[in-house]
Amino acid sequence: MIGLLEIRRRKFQFALIALIVTLISYLVLMINGLGVGLNEQAGSALRNFDADAIAYSDKAGLSVIRSELSQEQVDRIAVESGAEASAPLGYMAANYRKDGGEIESAAFLAFDPGTIAAPKVVEGRMLTEEDGDGLLVDKSFLRYSGLAVGDTVTISVRLVERDFRIVGETNEGAFFFQPSVYLLRSTWQELKYGTVDAATPVASIMLLQGNGLAGTSGPGWEAVSKSTAFANIEGVSGQQSTVQALRAFGYLIGGLVIGVFFYVLTLQKIGQIGMLKAVGASSFFVFRQVMVQVLGISLAGVAVAIPLTWLTNRAIQQAPNPVPIAFTNGTFITTSVLLVLMAMVGAMFSGRQVAKVDPIIALGQQQ
Amino acid sequence: MSVTLRVHDLSKTYGNGERAVQAVRHASFSTEPGEFVAVVGPSGSGKTTLLAMVGGLLTPTSGAIEVNGRDIAGLNAGQQAAYRRESVGYVFQANNLLPFLTARENLQVISRITGANGRAARQRADQLLEELGLTNRANAVATELSGGERQRVAIGRALMNDPELVLVDEPTASLDSARGRQVVESLIQEVKSRGKLGLMVTHDMAMAELADRIIEMHDGKLSVRGKLAASG
Repeated sequence: MIGLLEIRRRKFQFALIALIVTLISYLVLMINGLGVGLNEQAGSALRNFDADAIAYSDKAGLSVIRSELSQEQVDRIAVESGAEASAPLGYMAANYRKDGGEIESAAFLAFDPGTIAAPKVVEGRMLTEEDGDGLLVDKSFLRYSGLAVGDTVTISVRLVERDFRIVGETNEGAFFFQPSVYLLRSTWQELKYGTVDAATPVASIMLLQGNGLAGTSGPGWEAVSKSTAFANIEGVSGQQSTVQALRAFGYLIGGLVIGVFFYVLTLQKIGQIGMLKAVGASSFFVFRQVMVQVLGISLAGVAVAIPLTWLTNRAIQQAPNPVPIAFTNGTFITTSVLLVLMAMVGAMFSGRQVAKVDPIIALGQQQ
Repeated sequence: MSVTLRVHDLSKTYGNGERAVQAVRHASFSTEPGEFVAVVGPSGSGKTTLLAMVGGLLTPTSGAIEVNGRDIAGLNAGQQAAYRRESVGYVFQANNLLPFLTARENLQVISRITGANGRAARQRADQLLEELGLTNRANAVATELSGGERQRVAIGRALMNDPELVLVDEPTASLDSARGRQVVESLIQEVKSRGKLGLMVTHDMAMAELADRIIEMHDGKLSVRGKLAASG
């Protein structure tokens, strides 16, 4: 291909264009990574719940913060929803004291051992009913706090401070942009409501397993899918719209910049294009050379951007207080494919220019 | 194969109404097989327009052009491109080599366009370069070649598709007279030795004298000098 030969012979010129593509790809990948990271922070713990649907009290407007369920509601949801398995889960935000003494907040999730609400322990051990002062903490909690399994941590809630011992580590992620901490539901009731009696709420939400549970409801409760529950986490929809807009602008600007670059290159080569058409090349033949160049340059640009992003991600993750950023293979693949496609679309402008070149200009051209 | 060209009552008008410019007026001539014809005339005389019509770059306003009996004047844009690809070899004023390609690759541009860029195409390119005395410059990038070398590569490119017609536009415009003469002599030899028909536009009478026949153009009208046969 003449287009590829030109890249080989004009390495510096095309390397500069590839550098621009790399920087744009890097930017879009980082934006996507931040989007995924923010989503993870917003509620990866919710996504990791071993459930198909989540039930809320019907006055809560699908807010985990506002939802409160009584024992009677929990019992009825278990029956009325038709769930194959169910478990109550409590939530509260509370502060803890880091190793250095600073106060930080965390998302406390309360469960009963042996139910579907119990998290998976990756290090240490699971809580038992006897672990009223025991905690399971997410690995991000350990990183932020500087604590380790076996350490004691002071929890502050409702002006009360209480010491807990970290007995295990989980990898369930974050909730409400805070690391998740698991404790027994009975302890959570005491911490959140103080005195516990028959009227005290026993859970915030119910986790349900089974088919067709999303959309079911009963007196005083409603169940939705995990994705709906996630989208209703306070601040998530606005955050997702912002990230989507940033992504869209990234793709658009990427396509436009590459399109403009190749448009200018095409304008500079009008004489050569005229010659090629004069000796019988079709517009398609010439355009194919441009498209091969765009494809080659955008693939090269993206190929450099991916490891660059990966390295940046690693560096960020090793920082003491990392910004929320996360990457999946899907993020890399989707972003790369979309960027290359946008580059090809941007290069279509050059196609119009190529088609417009009249081969007659080859005659009478001075060197 | 010997090639004949017949141009009959050929006219080309640019624009229309009061702004119409008649670049070629009722031109008629025909050539004998294997001839090399020079078209001379001052700037604006219509010689490049005549060349462009014969080469399928411009559609005549009226008249006929026949190459080996095949009508060229009535071709549509796609057919014109195919005609240029298969039957015409062009040597341009500015040689128009792709500057990032080597001499050999510039010849192979033609085989890439025709979709036949195999080993045979490379051998043909090397053979043409050898005939043009450029074997040792085959791998030199166009920008490393001298003006004369570039124009000889352009001649090789024009012959690459084994055309019926070789059309030449001011081939010595960027060369000094001694080098220009060498190039034109080389060009005529290459064209005639293959039994092709050559049509060269030039304002340089010294170069035109090297051709078999000379056509003069003034204000779009053609007059024949030498023994060029008048069209019937």
